[in-house]
Amino acid sequence: MLSYLIRRLLWMVPMLIGISLISFFIMHLAPGDITSTETAFDPKSSEESRQKLRALYNLDKPVIVQYGLWMERMVRLDFGHSFASHQKPVFWSEKDKDGNVTPGMIEEALPITLLMNIAGLLITLSLGVPLGVWAAKRYGQWPDRSITLFNFIGFSIPGFWLSLLLMYWLGVIHPWFPISGMHSLNYDQLDFWQKSQDLFMHLFLPVVIPSITGLAGITLFVKNGMLDVLSQDYVTTARAKGLSDHTITYRHALRNALLPLITLIGLSLPGLIGGSVIAETIFAIPGMGKLFYEAVMMRDFPVVMGILTIGSALTLLGNLLADLAYAWADPRLRKGVMPAR
Amino acid sequence: MAHRYFLIISLCGLLAACSADVSEQNNAPYNQSFPSQSGGTFIDAMPSDPSSLIFMVAGESASSAITANIFNTLLRYNKDLDLAGELAQSWQVAADQKTITFHLKPGLVWADGRPLTSEDVYFTWQLIIDEKTRSPYASDFQLVTKAETPDKLTFVVHYDQAFSPALDSWAGLQILPKHKLAGQDIHTTSFTQKPLGSHYYQLKEWRHGEYLKLERNPKAVLGQAQINTLIERIIPDPGAQFLELMADHIDSMNMDPITYARIIPSRPELQARLNQYKALGNSYTYLGFNLKRQPFNDVRIRKAINYAIDKQEIIDGVYLGLGEQIASPYKPGTRWSNPQLKPYAFDPQKARTLLAEAGYKDTDGDGILERDGKKLSFEVLTNHGNKEREKTVVIIQRRLKEVGIDIRIRSIEWASFITRFIKTGDFDAVVLGWQLGLEPDQYGIWHSSQQKPGQFNFIGYNNPKVDKLLEQGRSEFDPDKRMHVYHQFAEALYEDSPIVYLSAGYGLTAIHKRVQGIMNPVPPAGVGYDSQKWYIPLPLRRTQIQAE
Repeated sequence: MLSYLIRRLLWMVPMLIGISLISFFIMHLAPGDITSTETAFDPKSSEESRQKLRALYNLDKPVIVQYGLWMERMVRLDFGHSFASHQKPVFWSEKDKDGNVTPGMIEEALPITLLMNIAGLLITLSLGVPLGVWAAKRYGQWPDRSITLFNFIGFSIPGFWLSLLLMYWLGVIHPWFPISGMHSLNYDQLDFWQKSQDLFMHLFLPVVIPSITGLAGITLFVKNGMLDVLSQDYVTTARAKGLSDHTITYRHALRNALLPLITLIGLSLPGLIGGSVIAETIFAIPGMGKLFYEAVMMRDFPVVMGILTIGSALTLLGNLLADLAYAWADPRLRKGVMPAR
Repeated sequence: MAHRYFLIISLCGLLAACSADVSEQNNAPYNQSFPSQSGGTFIDAMPSDPSSLIFMVAGESASSAITANIFNTLLRYNKDLDLAGELAQSWQVAADQKTITFHLKPGLVWADGRPLTSEDVYFTWQLIIDEKTRSPYASDFQLVTKAETPDKLTFVVHYDQAFSPALDSWAGLQILPKHKLAGQDIHTTSFTQKPLGSHYYQLKEWRHGEYLKLERNPKAVLGQAQINTLIERIIPDPGAQFLELMADHIDSMNMDPITYARIIPSRPELQARLNQYKALGNSYTYLGFNLKRQPFNDVRIRKAINYAIDKQEIIDGVYLGLGEQIASPYKPGTRWSNPQLKPYAFDPQKARTLLAEAGYKDTDGDGILERDGKKLSFEVLTNHGNKEREKTVVIIQRRLKEVGIDIRIRSIEWASFITRFIKTGDFDAVVLGWQLGLEPDQYGIWHSSQQKPGQFNFIGYNNPKVDKLLEQGRSEFDPDKRMHVYHQFAEALYEDSPIVYLSAGYGLTAIHKRVQGIMNPVPPAGVGYDSQKWYIPLPLRRTQIQAE
């Protein structure tokens, strides 16, 4: 077991290097760099100053050299400084000699996105699993059909459209929720309880709306899993034994039906740090999605690479955790498949 | 974005029809005028967070929107867009025009009470020309051969040769405090998060990506602003901004023509509490030709295209009429704009005549003109995502087709556009925009020496007469003589028609009626001019800063 774990972890190193190499080169395939943005297209600025900037950021060197420089910093876990955002540290905060702290960009954005995505995932799961079970048990009857219809609608509605609609409805006509932003302007003067309430109100719409549109996938997944399991022989046996419907559904069937969900959740781990550009833009929330999108548009290479690196590390880690959880939950895997890898 | 915006607006209309009007509850006397009063909070919205609060390295508009409230410059533009002193009480240009002496106002202080002297100005100049400073705007200051501070109130700069745009450059350089920044690395200093200035406001709080809160600087060198607190909220989506405006969570926003001309007028409850302002913006859109290529090296073709395009149609169609035609690269009504020149009229017949003169005929009857078997057909590029430009090109396409010119449209993402096409000169024609600058010098755009890759005369314009005028204008300080030079320059451009001036759009702003003291009519310097005199009378203030 331990040797398996170590082997998997060691394998992640070359994988990460490979991923970063590919990302780095693809990023540099896109034409332009930080000096060819729209704001740089200003006759008041001179080509010499742009060349100087390029040299300062090492952008005039061959891509492979730039990659080497980046790698050299990465082994020290130094994510570097943003080009576009005035040399802000990409990941961790930094202290200058007067003791003033400059917060890192990912450090600022990540907690927001994590909070939103974890809350969203919990909502999706806590609604999706019961709905899926119910739909499977009443397969072909009205609950199943209405859940399918509801999911279908939720899945098809464009998130931004629903967001703007609800912002208008619940923010302007019936001003129950704030329209955009994360904090009230007087946030600092609130006590802890009011702060939590404030945060809750601000995040309600941006968290709930993507959860609704994301519900369809989970529900369908659980429903199909349940349908599979419910037609298995051991369920028939259980019924024949006279076990209660509740026991059959939740103790015997659901546990097996949920197995694939482990993979799904494991794979959604990297998704947790990648915010949604659209939701964040509409709701004016400074999360990871906006950070990444803006970095790409500005050709802010250190930020792009920083987010990609963290993302790919988390993906690999998520895969590993999913495999381990799977093995832990499913004795068949523990005995058979796993050692063979 | 625009589609989505339109969608929500139409939805709003739909929903509003079946819902009670929320704004009726507030019957504050917005139309009554009150005497000026200090205090209150003004909440504005802008689309993106500043990258830094040191403008010389940030260089983007979000940064200047904030730093213009915090830092002073030596000179500034007054309401009629003429240069006036800000920190400088007066300035003199020496007889040989190579030396400028600035005399600072006495008794200037930073917000922390330390004196602001010529030392700070000297320090700021040294900072921007420093090899390590990553400023895109250093080049004008590198022309200074020597700077001196004979005393605390005097700052002298010497140039190798007369350089009149220097005054404009000093009007753009925000003076930074030496006692805070000396010995710091300008790129990593925390000063950029916690600046110290001398202007009307000081940064109180900055929640990155959410809002910036500015508070009145009691030691402001130009006196006290009336409004106590300015809040600039970062709301990237214009639809969300508009919803915030509807809910009265923000006092002001910049709008697009649809909101200005259609949506707000159709909603009485919004109209009752908003004032709308329009003023010519700071840029124009043009169709530029690659003058090094056939057939654009022929002035008749360029003129024909100019006559074939109906500019008013573009202004009406794209900007809902909220724009102006221009005949020179300067703001109409300002000193630099040549009143003799009238925009090229829409005259397809004249266009056809010119094309025929140039030898173009439709020999195969397909509606497209040819010469020597080559069709008059070319590609127009514009940057992807700029809806106004994309719509403009489509209108141009139709009009040119009517006179027998076939154009293909291609819109390309900005960075690719610049690196693959503009820098390499690999294009036929482009639709892009230039600033209608306050400084008339446009050496970088039109002088024949500025054609290397990465420079801004990428259309390849080369006219010795214009070169000479541009050089003359750069070395002339007398405004009247300069005006004469730039009028001649605009006339030469007009005759050559190297680009087609398409439109100059208005900047459109909505401001809540609770804000009073806004200059009306809007001065040439724009609605925001003298905003330190704006005030919010007590009865009209928000009772509290609401949850938003």
